[in-house]
Amino acid sequence: MAKRFLQRLGLKDKLLAIIVPLLVLAAWQGAVSQKLCSELILTPPLTLLNTLLELAQSGDLTLNILASLKRVMIGFLLGGTSGFVIGILMALSPFLNRIFGPLIKALQQVPEFAWMPLIIMFLGIDEFAKYFFVAIGAFYPMVLNTYQGVSGVPEKYHELARVFDYKSFRYLFKVIIPSALPSIITGIRLSLGLSWMFVVGAELFGSDSGVGYLMTWGRAVFQIDLVMAGLILVGVIGFAMNFLLERAEKQFLLWREPVDGRPA
Amino acid sequence: MSNNKGTLEIRNLSKSFIVDNSPLQILNNINLTVTSGSFVSIVGSSGCGKTTLLRIILGLENHYDGEALMDGKQIVGPGTNRGIVFQDHRLLPWLTVGENVAFGLDKLNRKEKKLLVDEHLQLVGLIGFESVYPSQLSGGMAQRVAIARALANKPEMLLLDEPLGALDALTRMYMQKELERLWQLEKITMIMVTHDIEEAIYLSDKVVIMSSRPGIIKQIIDVSSSRPRDRASSEFMQIKAEILEEFHLGTEYPFAYAI
Amino acid sequence: MKKLLISKKTKGILGAIAFPIVFIAFWQLFILAGFPSARFLPSPYKVLQKFVILFSDPTYSHNIAVSLQRVMIGFFIGTLAGFIFGLLMGLSKTAEKIFAPFFHAVRQVPMIGWIPLIIMLFGMNELPRVLIISVAAFYPITLNTFSGVRNVPREYLELASVYGYKGLTLIRKIIIPAALPSIATGISLGLAMSWSVLMVAEIFIQTAFGIGTQIQRGRDRFDIALVIAGIITVGVLGYSMTLLVQKIVKAVERGQVISADK
Repeated sequence: MAKRFLQRLGLKDKLLAIIVPLLVLAAWQGAVSQKLCSELILTPPLTLLNTLLELAQSGDLTLNILASLKRVMIGFLLGGTSGFVIGILMALSPFLNRIFGPLIKALQQVPEFAWMPLIIMFLGIDEFAKYFFVAIGAFYPMVLNTYQGVSGVPEKYHELARVFDYKSFRYLFKVIIPSALPSIITGIRLSLGLSWMFVVGAELFGSDSGVGYLMTWGRAVFQIDLVMAGLILVGVIGFAMNFLLERAEKQFLLWREPVDGRPA
Repeated sequence: MSNNKGTLEIRNLSKSFIVDNSPLQILNNINLTVTSGSFVSIVGSSGCGKTTLLRIILGLENHYDGEALMDGKQIVGPGTNRGIVFQDHRLLPWLTVGENVAFGLDKLNRKEKKLLVDEHLQLVGLIGFESVYPSQLSGGMAQRVAIARALANKPEMLLLDEPLGALDALTRMYMQKELERLWQLEKITMIMVTHDIEEAIYLSDKVVIMSSRPGIIKQIIDVSSSRPRDRASSEFMQIKAEILEEFHLGTEYPFAYAI
Repeated sequence: MKKLLISKKTKGILGAIAFPIVFIAFWQLFILAGFPSARFLPSPYKVLQKFVILFSDPTYSHNIAVSLQRVMIGFFIGTLAGFIFGLLMGLSKTAEKIFAPFFHAVRQVPMIGWIPLIIMLFGMNELPRVLIISVAAFYPITLNTFSGVRNVPREYLELASVYGYKGLTLIRKIIIPAALPSIATGISLGLAMSWSVLMVAEIFIQTAFGIGTQIQRGRDRFDIALVIAGIITVGVLGYSMTLLVQKIVKAVERGQVISADK
């Protein structure tokens, strides 16, 4: 009885969550069709849907999404991997921590987009510059979270490793990394999110492909529907990446959840 | 015990830590002999150095004066001939129960590992829990897994650092019985640090009483009554009164503590 | 004893400045070594010279003032809006059900993604710049205010109901003070986001003045020293602001503890 009621309640919440955006969309569509607002300034939702479908049919959609995804992946791998390795080294070696710590802290004070002009001066606006820029975005959250995770491995696990004679790589892979995993995964999530933001930024700056390019192109030819389609794509893809990572996180960190609420 | 392994000989052992640039004496001139296959408890108030003593035997504390010999050899670091059960079960939360028990068996192949894991889970009565994560276990179960992990290495000596300290009173009594059963079954030496005097009397052949600042051995009391021991027997009470006397607690109303 | 403490402190300071000195020395050496790849890179000395010039140049201070003003206005608007919105969603489950899904959906779009649309809708002027900065501050402040309000310990609420606190008094005396640490976190995050998005706003939405503009100018004139000076300026200003906000937050929290003691 109670369960059913709860289920209905849950459904009601979901309906409410859907109804509000629908109302917004309907009002928007209505405003444009009633000429309350120029179609040139605010594309009605239906036109937007149409634009997206056309983009999909012409193949432009897949092409540009793939171009952006490729840049994200390469940049993320470059920046994320170096952040991961440097984070571990910093946490395990006080010497390296003294070398990299202040440098990273100093560089971190600079908003990433301020680097953009400098990168372009040195590397041009070609693909590599974009990878590099994305890598900068991916680097910080990864290095910080890995460092925090690894230096936060409790002393009791270090002792356990000594008692059972775990050394070097076995120690690293069986004790240190698993213990730091929650923090590392948070780093991956933040890192990928920023990578996505930066790839769009890099493409807005100058590019001939990608989701960001779609928007600049739309702006150049004053087709606001293209700009908004691009915006939606940016949001949806960012959301999808985060969602998938959250799923993966749950799978990886099953051990963290006490199943029936008993204390660990 | 047949092979006479698992003996401990501690001679004139002293240990101090540096606190605020000045040395603080933790253990002072400790002498202790533990024979093969016996059960020894170390009791004392907190800060008497009993855990430090255990950590020296385990090999986690290496800088000390005097001798600590395990089977005639100086202890220089941890080794697989000594197993340890910590007060916090210290199971790795990202490993399943089975993987935790196999933690010290990393050098064996899969089949040998499984055999040993099964054997020891059986021993502690947790067969069927291999693929469960520690966060799903109750405190007593987790501690039994920790015991299985320590025993899986086939140590000659098992060190127990207040192993039941975090458990509720009833689980604790049950686990004391379990420990006794395992000790009789495995026939290995066990050294337990505890602050529960009844627990020490119930389980031990020898109760080592320590006092603090600096930690010294005040007295060693032999308990020779037959097992399983009856906590309500007059013999038990007498030994308890004797130990409480050492702590200056038992003079007036020794029986108040039996209620 | 005291001697030891002092030496420890000086050791710490030495350690902290040793790295920048070594870094700058390497940089200078790298230039002096004459690597071909170092052709464009100005020496630390040149950057220093650039700073000397900039300090006597009124445009530089004006750029800084304009950027700071821009951030402050945007941050203030975003903070206010985020606080009210977060409070509303935290207090009312209905408001949360209505707005939260929409809020989270819109939040998925990275700040940078809004730039082309904002420019098309508002043109290249001050409004979209301030708007995007305030939105950047809005998200973290909303989220942290919401979670702070939602996680007010039940004991406090029970206590308040025992003493008959209701409505605005309840919000003012119990809910906001209890949520304050979380709100403060939101404000620090919001400021960092605002400062970061300031660069996006100034670089992508062209403007006559601002530190971002200065960096862009440097790029247009291929004056790398000017670009680096701009980057350093941004870093130092951002760091000072972070420190300032952290100080204020700590002071507020301490004040709260003191008033609670009374």
